[in-house]
Amino acid sequence: MSRALAYCAYLHRPDVSLPETGVRSAPVQVIAERELRLLWSEVEWPFDPAHLQKNAVEFHGVVQCVLKQVAVVPFRLLSVFSDLKELTDFAAEHAGTFAADLERLKDFVQMESVVYPAPGRAPSQMNSGAEYLRERALMLRLIEQYAADLKERLRPLARDLRVRQTKSGSRLFVLVERGSEREFRALLEHAPVPDRLSRRISGPWPAAEFLSDSVKTPQVAGAK
Amino acid sequence: MARGHRIRLLPMPNDFQSITLSEPGEDEVSLLEIIDHVLNAGVVIHGSLVISLAGVDLVYVGVNVVLTSVETALRNLRSAEEKRGPQ
Repeated sequence: MSRALAYCAYLHRPDVSLPETGVRSAPVQVIAERELRLLWSEVEWPFDPAHLQKNAVEFHGVVQCVLKQVAVVPFRLLSVFSDLKELTDFAAEHAGTFAADLERLKDFVQMESVVYPAPGRAPSQMNSGAEYLRERALMLRLIEQYAADLKERLRPLARDLRVRQTKSGSRLFVLVERGSEREFRALLEHAPVPDRLSRRISGPWPAAEFLSDSVKTPQVAGAK
Repeated sequence: MARGHRIRLLPMPNDFQSITLSEPGEDEVSLLEIIDHVLNAGVVIHGSLVISLAGVDLVYVGVNVVLTSVETALRNLRSAEEKRGPQ
């Protein structure tokens, strides 16, 4: 059974070049709805779980190819539509809200940094529960303090910045102007990493964390 | 309600194992980061999904529940349980 897999949406520009193929080497196709363009492929569904990682990399390749040129609203990999009509209806219904977000975010990309315990330093092998809890509280404080330090350093560059606590650390999502990715990395790389912590920097990503709620979770009738 | 699609999370030797997808001179992107972003960032269409690890179903996300990653799903489930209160 085949389904329509949506990759991402962007605002039309004649000079944007698109990848020929996407997930499972399926041709990448375009839906045009006013100034909105929506990329999709017809894929066999459901995916073979053994191919999930490969599919993820191929999906990522399509989105990144467009992101290098213009702002995109990414879809999530496992979201598929029954057929082209359902996807076309979706594009017609949501073109306005998608275009508004893309216009707002057109000059920006999302950079990220994750702060987490250094390998082997996570509090897991303690002699007692109390010792574990003390160690864990200390680690969380260290992570919070370091995340706050990074946040302060990034203030001049960040158009918007959100911090999310995860099970293993803190994750910073930073909206920066397109073209300032290297400056972002340089700012963070000049912040020494505390002995017991690790830090990872990634990006540019689509500004997914900064999409409006109506774009992130559109109401869809009958989507599979 | 019909069962959803079954997704098996494959073990990775290292959560931050890197693969090279970038242009020369750019940083490498880890497979975990890619999977996290493509499953967990962006537009959510309602779906149906079973997420399992090592053959054990972890989360069943129903037709009217937002498609989500394991971490988000567990957070949502905890939040829903807290809202529901003691049975």
